[in-house]
Formats: sequence, C-alpha cells, structure tokens
Amino acid sequence: MSELTVLQAVRLKGRVNEAELAATLYEDPAGVASTIAQLTEVGLLVAGKTLRISPDGRGRLNALLAQERSGIDQDALAAAYDDFRAVNAGFKALVADWQLKDGQPNAHDDAGYDAAVLARLDDVHHRVSPIIAAATAQLPRLDIYADKLAAALEKIKAGDTAWFTRPIIDSYHTVWFELHEELIVASGLSREEEAKAGHAQ
Amino acid sequence: MGAKHPPVMLLDGNAGLPRETLGNKGYGIDAMRGHGLPVPPAFCLTTEVCAQFFADPQRCLDGIWDEVREKMGWLERQTSRTFGRGPRPLLVSVRSGAAQSMPGMLDTVLDLGMDDAVEDALAAVSSAEFAADTRSRFVHMYRRIVLGGEESVEVPVDPWAQLRGAIEAVFSSWNSPRAIAYRRHHGLDESAGTAVVVQAMVFGNFADDSGTGVLFSRNPMTGADEPFGEWLPGGQGEDVVSGSVDVEPIAALRDEQPDVYDELMVAARMLERLGADVQDIEFTVEEGTLWLLQTRVARRSAQAAVRLALQLRQEGLIDDAAALRRVSAAHVETLLLPSLQPETRLAAPLLAKGLPACPGVVSGTAYTDVDEALDAADEDEDVILVRAATSPDDVQGMIAARGIVTEIGGATSHAAVVSREIGRPAVVGCGAGVVEALAGRLITVDGAEGEVREGILELTAWSETDSPDLAELADIARRISPIRAHTSGDYPVLENTSEAAVADALTAGFTDVISPHPLITMLTALRLSADSKGLADV
Repeated sequence: MSELTVLQAVRLKGRVNEAELAATLYEDPAGVASTIAQLTEVGLLVAGKTLRISPDGRGRLNALLAQERSGIDQDALAAAYDDFRAVNAGFKALVADWQLKDGQPNAHDDAGYDAAVLARLDDVHHRVSPIIAAATAQLPRLDIYADKLAAALEKIKAGDTAWFTRPIIDSYHTVWFELHEELIVASGLSREEEAKAGHAQ
Repeated sequence: MGAKHPPVMLLDGNAGLPRETLGNKGYGIDAMRGHGLPVPPAFCLTTEVCAQFFADPQRCLDGIWDEVREKMGWLERQTSRTFGRGPRPLLVSVRSGAAQSMPGMLDTVLDLGMDDAVEDALAAVSSAEFAADTRSRFVHMYRRIVLGGEESVEVPVDPWAQLRGAIEAVFSSWNSPRAIAYRRHHGLDESAGTAVVVQAMVFGNFADDSGTGVLFSRNPMTGADEPFGEWLPGGQGEDVVSGSVDVEPIAALRDEQPDVYDELMVAARMLERLGADVQDIEFTVEEGTLWLLQTRVARRSAQAAVRLALQLRQEGLIDDAAALRRVSAAHVETLLLPSLQPETRLAAPLLAKGLPACPGVVSGTAYTDVDEALDAADEDEDVILVRAATSPDDVQGMIAARGIVTEIGGATSHAAVVSREIGRPAVVGCGAGVVEALAGRLITVDGAEGEVREGILELTAWSETDSPDLAELADIARRISPIRAHTSGDYPVLENTSEAAVADALTAGFTDVISPHPLITMLTALRLSADSKGLADV
C-alpha cells in the first residue's frame, strides 16, 4: 500500500482511527497498521487518540501529489473535472432538496417527496460514473471512489438513507466531497480558488 | 361577460372597485391616491380581462389596445412626459396584481419604454451614465422576467411592443405551473385571474437627492414604536429588496433629506391608521420628491407581534378581540423558548453577514485552524469554526465546533450541507476577509438571521407570569375568551395546550380551566370559537 494512498486518506478524513482507515481504503488492517507505524515513525503522521497528518506529512503528501500529476495527461483530467463540475451543480441541488423542503429543514415525514428526491440520485450516479472512469484512466487510484459511491448508493436504496448525506461515514456525500477534492488537487487547483470561481460551492 | 366597468381602469383614487377586480396592488395604489398620498400615476387592466385573455390572447389584447393607448396618454399628461420618445420620455413599470399574491407569478418589469432615441433623450435630460444604466436594467429584467431568460430571443425594440409583451407575459403567468400548484394547494379560485398594473416610473437612480428604500412604520423585530428601515441613495427598488448592495439605515435619509423624511413619517402614520396595522412601505425619492410605491402589512417577529398588538390596542387602533387575533399560539410558544431576543441581537455589533445555512444561535471563540479548533474543543472550550471554504478534512472540526462560518459558498455549499446534517448553526458566504477579522474573537453565530455578532450573547425566554406583556395579554384574553384559563384555582385541569384539549373543554362547556399555559389555551379557544362561527380572518 502506497505512502501516497495512506497520507491522502488521513488528510481527507482529518482525524481517523486505524480501523476506520483500513475500512475506507478497502485494505487489510494488518497492512495498514504497518504502513501507519512506518509513517508515524518518520513523523509524517501523528498518532494519538486518533491519527492525523503532521505539517511534514502534508508537505510530503503535496510533493507526492505533484509528482503524480506530472505523469498524467492534464488535458484529459481537466476535461473530466469540467464534466464533474457540471454534474456537481445538480448533485448539490439534489442534496439541498433532500435537506430542505420549502426552505425549512426536511423532517422526512413526506415519503413521496423523499422518494422523488432520491429518484434523482440515480441520474446523478449514471452521469458521474463515466467521469470517474475517465479520471481513473489518468489516476488509477481514483477507482476506489466508484466503488465507494456504488456501495453508498446500494445502502440508500436498501432504505438506509443515512448513507446519503451523513458526515464521517462514507456516505454518498462524504465520498463525493472527497472525490471533488481529489479532482481539484489533480487539476493543480486549490479549493479556495475553486470556491471563489464558484465551482466548489 | 358584461362587465359594468371598463376593462382598463385609472387608479386615480376614484376607481371604486374591489380588490378582486383591481388586484391587491391596484387596489392599494387607488386607495393611497384617494387619500392624497404621493403615488406615481397608474392604471390597471382588471382581473376580468385575464379570463378573456385566456379565451383568445391576441383578440383580447387587440380589443382593449385602444383603451391602453388612451390610458398611456393619461399617464403622459399626468407626468408631462411622452412614451417612446423625447424630449422627456415616460418609462413605466408593469406588474402583476392578483387579489392574493402567489409564487410563480411574473412580478415586475421596470423601466419599460426604451429604445435608442429614448436612451439619447434620457441622456440629454440627465446623464449618459443614468440613461445607459436604466437601459441595461430594463434589458436584463425584460429578458429574465418576460422572456424567461431565453438568450436567443430579442427584446423588442419598439416600446409599444415591449408594453404588449409584458402585459401578455403577466397574464400568461397566472397559469404558470407554480402558480397553478400554489392555488391548488391553498384552495384558491382558479378563475379569479390577475390584474396588470401599469405605472409611471420614478427614479431612485436619477441623480442627487434620489434613492430608494423600505420603511417599517414600527420596528418589526423588537416591536418598538420607532421607524425602522433601509435607505439606498442612488438605487432602484429591486436593489434594496434583493439585498445585493449595502444599504444605510433609514436615519441616513433624515440626515440627508429631512423634509422628505418628515413627509414619509406622516405618510407612514396615515397608512398605519388606514390599515390599523404596522406597514411595510416601499418608497422612492426622485430629485427630492417622495413617491410611495407599495404598502403592505409588515411581517414581524413573535416579540413584535405581542408588543405591537398591545400598542395598537392602547392607541385605540384595534379592539381587544383584534389585538388577540394578532398574536398566535405559535408566537407565544416561540417566546417561551430560550432565544436571542431582538433587542439583545441589535445591540451587539454586527461583525459579518452571510447566508443562513442552518438555524440556531450559538456562541464561542472563533478558531480558523482546524487542529487548533479540535484541541480547544477537547478542552471543553466553545468553538466556532471560521474558514474561507470547507474541505473534507474540516468535517471533524465542524463536528467539534458549536457553529460554523465561511467566507465563500452558497446555501448548497459543502459547509452548508454538513452543518445541516450535524445540526450546527452556520452562516456561509460572509465574504473575503472574515477569517482574519474574526480570528480569536468571542462571537455569536445566528444561523437563522445569517449574522455573526460580537460577544457571547445570552439566550433568554419570556414567561407567561413574569413578562408584563404576556401577563397583560392574558388579562385581556380572560375578559373575552370563551374559556378563562388560570394557573391555579378550583377548576377542571387541561393536561396540555393542544387544540384537541381546548376543543374538548369548549364542548364540555367549561368556562374556567387550569392550564400549563393559560394564554396559549385562551388564544386557541378564541380561534376555535371564531372558526366555528365562520368569523375567522379571511
């Protein structure tokens, strides 16, 4: 398991324990534990009640990401990110409709309304899947996002709607949020720049 | 249909027709003119025309067009201006005006009557800048509202075609899907139709001594008997309503144009007396002349609802029963919960303003670094996380924080989504520089108002026994409510304040009961008995 994968996962989660990290990476806990031990040893991760990335680790991660970017077809990735931004707008509107109904917090007491909103998620999923495939052609490690989105969607469809927007767990929104961050970084941009340009809202 | 009055009516104070025919706006304009208030001249196509329009749009408009031209001539004479040409061009606004306002209806098109020659003439009597600004406002608004944002369709060049297009669009919007859905939901009459109001424009963006504003005849948040509102020098009406620019408090108008301010206060008092309630008034000042554009009953906070009901009763504008109708059980329930009282809120300096993303009021220290925020929260400190925009790795910090503030981002931003999910009051999109400005300060985040204020502001609740205003209202209620409710005594006991419990007590013929919240019980009893007599407000 690569140093980049682990550092990036810890960074995206902010603070995370070993078991959660192994789960989100779909990796064997023993292998994750040994990588964590090495990275903690050299001061790139800080282990406490939870794991987090150190300033050195952040520097190392940024260098690894820059190196990774240098080997890809930037135009192809930029095109994938462009497509993502278009779907992102629709997804964010969908999330807002899920959380708010007539401008008030959605009490989720109107099954018809909720079902109509969730039905739109299928379309979003259909549209984002080829975009992830295109990005994965450049950065193979991004393929895990397709699996994680599909897993969240399956749980939502089975009736466990917490997997739509709940933070911390790998809900559809959590995975989407992280994927968005990956695409921003892979395009050599920052979230602040993207937010100011109105794309990371 | 054989209408007993013309399809196009002057709103000169003598129209003498009901709201159902003139529409709410048209009726209001006619009434204000009738009382000698300064309202720009206007006429309206009545709601009856709307039905004819749907039978055959072009034939309907052809049939009334001579009358429209004739009434436009009246506007020209009233304003000493001319439509579609100089040297002093007349521009008009076109508005919808159903008897009841509803979403989905075309609202307002301003500055209509514009072509190259009109722009030149406007430039000659004012400035090239004003003329160009007005034209660009018109084109944008016409495209957005009348043409539905369609970029491929040209805005008509001919002012008369603009007028006809706008009237057609207003009528058509009566049957927009949103309007139909709204009427169905609220059981409103499908055949009522909308009127169309055509009114001479006045310009707040004209030159010196011009501007536009909104005045509440009394403070709608605290209920204090003091004028409250906003003034935007050099602005047009939609600038204030949209909240897209910074406005000044109404006191700025008093300093800039004291005579206009005094005239506005007198008009506000008159409108208050006529409506027997606090008014929300849109006005424009054009070169030192005051014009009233619209007035309506002001929306208000629960605090203001109680205080204003008592004030207006004290002043003899309303009787006991009306005062009690102005306060709902929901208002009292809101007041009994701890909340940020409006006077506390308004007394604290405003540090930042953004979009309300998740409601609630929380206080703490502003942290701008997630790790520091997490450490502080671990030490049981009350943390407010303030970030430019939020990234995935901020989520832990958001959860540890009591509230969230961002510089960038709208109502669907990641920060907004996560804050709602975890129930942390949040204000987003406060603008650049907020992180730096707030770092390390003690602040209060008001997620309902979209505000960040200085200091740790205390939340307090009213009490039915200890708050004089509620006690006074309860005394009044005991005089006229079909059920007198008390906190103690030898009477039947109501378990709760639910409508069902009150209805049962009424059916049982109780005249006195013990209730956990006597005022709420009596307000409910008054409403139920009014409903059953068919006397509810309509």
